[in-house]
Amino acid sequence: MTKVPTRPGEAITGHLAGLPPFAPADAIERAVRGIGKVFALAWLALVLITVLAVAERYAPPITAAMAAVFGPNPGTALTELQWHIYAGGFLVGLSYAMTVGAHVRIDVFAEHWSLRTKAWVELAGMALFLAPFAVFVLMHAIPFVERSYALNEVSPSPGGLGGRWIIKSFIIVGFVLILAAALARTMRILNYLFRHRAG
Amino acid sequence: MLETYELIVIALMASFILLIFTGYPIAWVLAGVSFWFVVIALWGAETLDWDTFMLDRWIRFSVIVDRIWSQMQNSVLVALPNFIFMGIMLDKSGVAEKLMQAFTRLFGSLQGGLAISVCAIGILLAASTGIVGASVVLLATLSLPLMMAYGYSRQLATGVVAASGTLGILIPPSIMLVIMADQLAMSVGDLFMGAMIPGLLLGALYIVYVVVISNVSRGVAPHPPDAPKVTLGLVLEALRAMAAPAALILAVLGSIFFGIATATEASAVGAFGAMLLALINRRLDWRTIKDVCYGTASTTAFIMAIFLGASAFALVMRSLGGDEFIAHMLKSLPFGPDGIIIVILAIAFVAGFFLDWLEISLIFLPLVAPVVRALGYDPVWFVVVFAVMLQTSFLTPPVGFSLFYVKGVAPKEIETRDIYLGVLPFVAIQLLVVFLVFEFAEIALWLPREVYGAAAR
Amino acid sequence: AAQERVRWGVPIAFGSNLTALGDTLPWVADRLRAMSGGRIDLRVQEPGTVIPALGVFDAVSEGKVDAGYTWMGYEIGKVPASALFGATPFGMEAIEFSAWYWFHGGKDLLMKIYERHNVVPIFCGAISPEGAGWFRAQITSLDQVRGLRFRAAGLGGRIWERVGASVQLIPGPELYQALERGVLDGTEFSLPTVDEQLGFQRVAKFLHLPGWHQPTTNQFLYVNKAVWDKLQDTTKAMIETACQAGVAYAIARAEALQGAVLNRFREQGVTVAQLPEDVLKRLQQATKEVLDEQAARDADFKTVLDSMRRFQAEHQPWKHLGYLPRNWPATQ
Ligand code: NA
Ligand code: NA
Repeated sequence: MTKVPTRPGEAITGHLAGLPPFAPADAIERAVRGIGKVFALAWLALVLITVLAVAERYAPPITAAMAAVFGPNPGTALTELQWHIYAGGFLVGLSYAMTVGAHVRIDVFAEHWSLRTKAWVELAGMALFLAPFAVFVLMHAIPFVERSYALNEVSPSPGGLGGRWIIKSFIIVGFVLILAAALARTMRILNYLFRHRAG
Repeated sequence: MLETYELIVIALMASFILLIFTGYPIAWVLAGVSFWFVVIALWGAETLDWDTFMLDRWIRFSVIVDRIWSQMQNSVLVALPNFIFMGIMLDKSGVAEKLMQAFTRLFGSLQGGLAISVCAIGILLAASTGIVGASVVLLATLSLPLMMAYGYSRQLATGVVAASGTLGILIPPSIMLVIMADQLAMSVGDLFMGAMIPGLLLGALYIVYVVVISNVSRGVAPHPPDAPKVTLGLVLEALRAMAAPAALILAVLGSIFFGIATATEASAVGAFGAMLLALINRRLDWRTIKDVCYGTASTTAFIMAIFLGASAFALVMRSLGGDEFIAHMLKSLPFGPDGIIIVILAIAFVAGFFLDWLEISLIFLPLVAPVVRALGYDPVWFVVVFAVMLQTSFLTPPVGFSLFYVKGVAPKEIETRDIYLGVLPFVAIQLLVVFLVFEFAEIALWLPREVYGAAAR
Repeated sequence: AAQERVRWGVPIAFGSNLTALGDTLPWVADRLRAMSGGRIDLRVQEPGTVIPALGVFDAVSEGKVDAGYTWMGYEIGKVPASALFGATPFGMEAIEFSAWYWFHGGKDLLMKIYERHNVVPIFCGAISPEGAGWFRAQITSLDQVRGLRFRAAGLGGRIWERVGASVQLIPGPELYQALERGVLDGTEFSLPTVDEQLGFQRVAKFLHLPGWHQPTTNQFLYVNKAVWDKLQDTTKAMIETACQAGVAYAIARAEALQGAVLNRFREQGVTVAQLPEDVLKRLQQATKEVLDEQAARDADFKTVLDSMRRFQAEHQPWKHLGYLPRNWPATQ
């Protein structure tokens, strides 16, 4: 079952249980998790919008109501809205999942290691794997979004949504949040390894 | 003699396998390893004059942004969060527990009744969704806590969940088969019908195994402590408890079957239905909705993260000529036709270690299919065998995507090792079915012929 | 100077196993290897393996790949005039388009528009009309079109919408099932041969023609401008010539296969028929409205559309008188 911790995430309760709290890291994680929780409501919206899109196909009064919002062919906009919500939702969710420790690990060996070893591995993973990749993606996502904005890119489908740069910019939002969550994790580990060794 | 870039591909794969055992999240290992192999390849090309195939500049790797965008636009994957939402909602609203209890009562006097119920629900779920991650997660969410509470062995519990949850890619509708049909320019209908019997056969064999093991080894699947005798009253009571969730699954299946909604939209119909059931159960308050949303957010994200990492991995592998490497290898094999098919299946099996079904369908299938056609095999038969083999691969330790998904949502006391050991008997069953379909092609070919006729082929 | 070596990964938007639609660039690449002695090596990358099928233009434009091959209509959301070069509803057929493109200024217009995006587009394949669509019930009158749940992309979709159809956006992978189960009343897809490969005749028993929305499907080899400008003249000439041969290859190959496939459909109980004349007339009227509106919004679109219409008007008497009527029997 998916456990949703209300206390600072996995750094304290999961794979790295036992890491001491560290105020600056806690603050960043709280912020990332807060944003994640707001965007998590997207999944409720997705269900409702999709059901509405199905209903729209068969119920003329709903079509009429939707047409007032999305134009003469609301079905297309509603269908596109679904993957827009999904795309924004999962990109923001990546960092939220990090703060609650949801990303899958193969801990068949790691579960027997000491906290100190696990902390070093996590530090190396953040610095060598996650950070370079995320920075690389960000560097190239920015021109990608700029280009869409400059071209005033819209949906190629009749009645589809405009402003493609907005949904594309969620790549930037998502990866900035991932880097923030990784930074918090890194700070927490550094605090443990180098400042907290007496404890 | 291997080309330099082919050696780099081998090193890339080996590094990934080794590094996931550091316990660092798989998604970021995939992404990070990909990144560093770009560094290595570019460095080798620059200083040692390596031939790195198409990976000659940093900008080649920046395609990852376009691939993320493509993942964002994948409107078929929209079903994933919906099914996860449905599962968590059923769980949090108590509907899932009632359903499982009803099944257990019904099979109460049967050893392993709960595990059999999981198989049965797995088959039903398979008929409503075709996305591996979604059905595994849904089934695990619904049944693992209860099986733990009843004192089932962790290995049997996780094994049966991983295996039954993976049936969805064979039993139609299956997004994997749809995408394979698209890739190979084949009829979706043929593939759906072709995979139906192998899929059901697998489900049946799982049940047989569960019945046998729980009778042979009594500790693994204990009776519920208060298992009553099966009476007519009990059956009726069980049926009543099953009515609501059964109606839900039927709503999903029905909206697909009667052409009310696409398979993707049907997932939302299911999630919405789960909310209605929660409402009837008086459990639909704002707190529950928020919890379900949070759970959906983290579960969807960890699956999408693996997709994202695998996409980066596939990009680097493809840019380094990993697929031409395989084509080249197949051409130089000294075997007869059957031998080549076996090698292709072995490749599918190994590829499942590194790549999810989407990448394998995109990269490997189009590569090997022409070879298979040239050898004179029926393409429908081949794709079905290939699909069963892939499904096996997702279940095989140490790297199996279904296993990751189970691990991602399992209760904390379940360790990776439990899942690894638990799934082994099911892998054996899978291999048996691969063998059967391989030997007796009719298992895959009979139904399509019955439904569509030989002339249409 | 020594002759240069060119090795490009070239992503394509349609799988190479789709007859005529997807197998042209692989053929062009083979020809190029043969005539250059392996010096010019375009390595075809199947859709999605490296570059997402719809991302070819962006990737070439940004230099992420050196070249790519796709149907130009996909760029409608970014470069609206592209839609006209990909296919114009009630517009030119493959041969007419070639005439306009190479000899009536089409190429210059396109080069100018695409230069802004760092892309050199090379016309490299044109095929026969698509089907008008697969339907679950035969269309016999205009009334049936109102509220018809139909899936159509791009300009064609906008026009169907204008005549009262309820245009649905169904993702490609789900089309087949949506049509089979009746979520859709109909869908257009591709050439009859390609439709046959994907099995549409299994799930819908009415194939309507003609391909009014896509009288030709024009594909282009996009080359990144910086990459193109650096090429030696001999290399450029070989690529351009191979592509021009690719246009001839695609026209011939597509045309070669469609007759047999219509006969096979009929044997399998599919009704193959043209849309009724009043439906076609209404669609043509809507086409004019939609194209004019788009032209009012986008200057490039207007320039291209005007040029196309001028050529069509000039060509009309010849088209009308120079050929036997379409339904003239082949043997008397
Ligand atoms: Na399925
Ligand atoms: Na595996």
